[in-house]
Amino acid sequence: ELLPEEEKENARSVRIPKSRILTLPELRANPFQHRICRVFSTSEDGDDSMSFEDFLDMLSVFSDSATSEIKSHYAFRIFDFDDDGTLDKKDLENLVNCLTGQSEESRLNSAEMEQLIQNILEESDIDKDGTINLSEFQHVISRSPDFASSFKIVL
Amino acid sequence: MYYYHPKFWIFNAFCAEAKLIGNLVSMSTRERIKAIQKMPETMKKKREIRNSLSEYFHQLQLWHKTLKIIGGKFGTGVLSYFVFLKWLLTFNIFSFLINFSFIAIPQFVAAEPNNLSFTGLELITGAGYFQETILYYGFYTNATISKTENGASYNMQLAYIFTVGIYFVICLFSLVFSMTKSFRRNFINPQAYSGNASKLLCTWDFNITNEKAVKLKQKNLSTQIKEALFEVNQEVLNFSLKERVVHIVIHLASWVASLGTAVVACAGVYFLSINNLELFMKERKNDLESQAAMLVLPIVASLLNAFIPFFYSWLGLLEKFQNPRHQIYVTITRNIILKISIVGILCYYWLNIVAASESQCWETLVGQDIYRLVLVDFIFCLLGCFFGEFVRRIIGTTVYVSLGVPEFDIARNVLDLIYAQTLTWIGIFFSPLLPGIQMISFSVVFYVKKVSLMMNCQPPRKVWRAAQMTTFFIFLLFFPSLVGVLSVIAVTVWRLKPSKECGPFRGLSSMYAAISEWIETLKNYPGSEWVVWIYQNLFQSELFFFILSTLLLIITYLYWQIIEGRKTMVKLLRKQIINVSLTFSFLLLKFGFFVDCLISCCAVVICFSYDSVGERHLTEIKMTSLRDFPI
Repeated sequence: ELLPEEEKENARSVRIPKSRILTLPELRANPFQHRICRVFSTSEDGDDSMSFEDFLDMLSVFSDSATSEIKSHYAFRIFDFDDDGTLDKKDLENLVNCLTGQSEESRLNSAEMEQLIQNILEESDIDKDGTINLSEFQHVISRSPDFASSFKIVL
Repeated sequence: MYYYHPKFWIFNAFCAEAKLIGNLVSMSTRERIKAIQKMPETMKKKREIRNSLSEYFHQLQLWHKTLKIIGGKFGTGVLSYFVFLKWLLTFNIFSFLINFSFIAIPQFVAAEPNNLSFTGLELITGAGYFQETILYYGFYTNATISKTENGASYNMQLAYIFTVGIYFVICLFSLVFSMTKSFRRNFINPQAYSGNASKLLCTWDFNITNEKAVKLKQKNLSTQIKEALFEVNQEVLNFSLKERVVHIVIHLASWVASLGTAVVACAGVYFLSINNLELFMKERKNDLESQAAMLVLPIVASLLNAFIPFFYSWLGLLEKFQNPRHQIYVTITRNIILKISIVGILCYYWLNIVAASESQCWETLVGQDIYRLVLVDFIFCLLGCFFGEFVRRIIGTTVYVSLGVPEFDIARNVLDLIYAQTLTWIGIFFSPLLPGIQMISFSVVFYVKKVSLMMNCQPPRKVWRAAQMTTFFIFLLFFPSLVGVLSVIAVTVWRLKPSKECGPFRGLSSMYAAISEWIETLKNYPGSEWVVWIYQNLFQSELFFFILSTLLLIITYLYWQIIEGRKTMVKLLRKQIINVSLTFSFLLLKFGFFVDCLISCCAVVICFSYDSVGERHLTEIKMTSLRDFPI
């Protein structure tokens, strides 16, 4: 009651621009840095800035105590490059490019990419609709015990 | 006047804050939060207190920052080695503390003077001056120590046996719990983990924070993917019968070669030790030559442990496995067999030959042997680090540039750790302060390996399934290592005759006799009949153990059947999912348009109402358009 209305809003919603978030040592070298900022940012202008609560959200998902379901849910959102709720071929292509890096010698050519995506879909797409939805993704994750320990960022 | 001095108040305030933090630290997290909330201080003060609390906890977690740096630069695989090392260190610290407090300190009270002289050589050979110190079993008295007449007495025999026994029981339980927890989390399911493509989705290690390491990992990943695709593309060669036979013969030959080397190594160690013992018994001089002769056995054992694994890796390369992962597993198995056989033959030698020899104090001899083995193993570890990583890097970057920078060999280092810990565990009974020495050695190894890693090594190229391998290594620590040690100690306590002139059990027919005698004396005390009853009816009766084992077997069988049932259920459910989705997509295809129309046209609305009693009644059923219900 002592604080005028506008200042109250401001105090709670200080947003840090994306460029400054990406200077954090843990995110600086991560190939998924842009997707992480996009997924956890709740800013309405789409500039991917993060408030303190967004930052807390991000740290809590990447912490040790987050359950496997939460981690796989957010991993799915991070890998879903076009935010349409499923991982289709374009998303998988972007994912593989992030994993292998952007330099000329480590990129896969289109034939290899096509074959790799075919293999992935063959193994993980249970209902054979050409995309991987959240449940199929979680099923794949559940078979890999290393996921919980590698999907972790500790400050 | 003194109390009003400003410095006193500052000191008091500082003390008060330290006391407050001390109080907060000892509470649980929930209580701590409540306590901080209750304090009538400003937010700023509370935040300062919370910061100092978190700093305190971070400092308490040993090497937290170092581990984070290692994980950031080298990934989770290499980090798992250092975490394992830290975990073994806690075992040793715990053992040293309880041995020192319960066995060594009372011994100081009843110590006999040490008449031998101290030369520096004892640090390596463990003999000489150290023979008459608390380092070895032989020094401990068998008397019941009491400080004052009719005061509280301390029975050394019982203390010795119970301290060691309780420590091993605690070790056993903690290992079993860690192993099952780890196994449950990282359930090794070989049939499901078939694809290389879907594991791509879970591969990225978010722990890595170093840019160079990230680029390296990306390059490695791309190489692996390209290789995997290339292999799949190649025609699956149908091996002719001749080629298959050749393959099998090569595999058999390399297994024979590796088992043969292990047998030869064991025989060598055995004859060398018998030789050593004969020399020791014949001539009891204490000059430099005989001291050096005592070191030959540990040096030979460490040399075998260091160089035979290279031979095994070379064999693995020769065999040309279909699956590179099989090569790693086979090499690890051969190394394990080698180490188990060396430790096994040494235990056989100690328990059968040394114990039956006519030496004055055979337990101290065994303790000295183990001390020397542990020390030489530590020195060889440091040397191996120096030559294997530092010199190799220099060679790899200047002379033979194609060799490149060495990788950190996780499997080999972990197996070395398990070997060292097994020796320490065997040695606890014969040399109670050995865990203290191992504690120092592990700490030094941690720092040396860390420095060598940062300076000389590159991150591993192949994907290392850290979670599964950690479970496997904990299992190795439990099954051949701890179980073996427990059997050795059991044989020592139950079957062997302690020496007549030294140690806490001198003169008894077996070390276990101390407990039986104690139970006999307890029969005269009226209040302790329940102890005698438990001893006679639970520990000594065979019927009890028979019933217990049968029960356990039945329960294990039941759980096994439940698991089988669940596996079948999973397969069935998977088929159902496929069927349902296929059916659904088929329907959509055929009747898509029709279904679309139907859905958009109408919805059936069922209205309920509740009467005065609260019962639900159906009021009406009507059809409306779905446009009234936004979906």
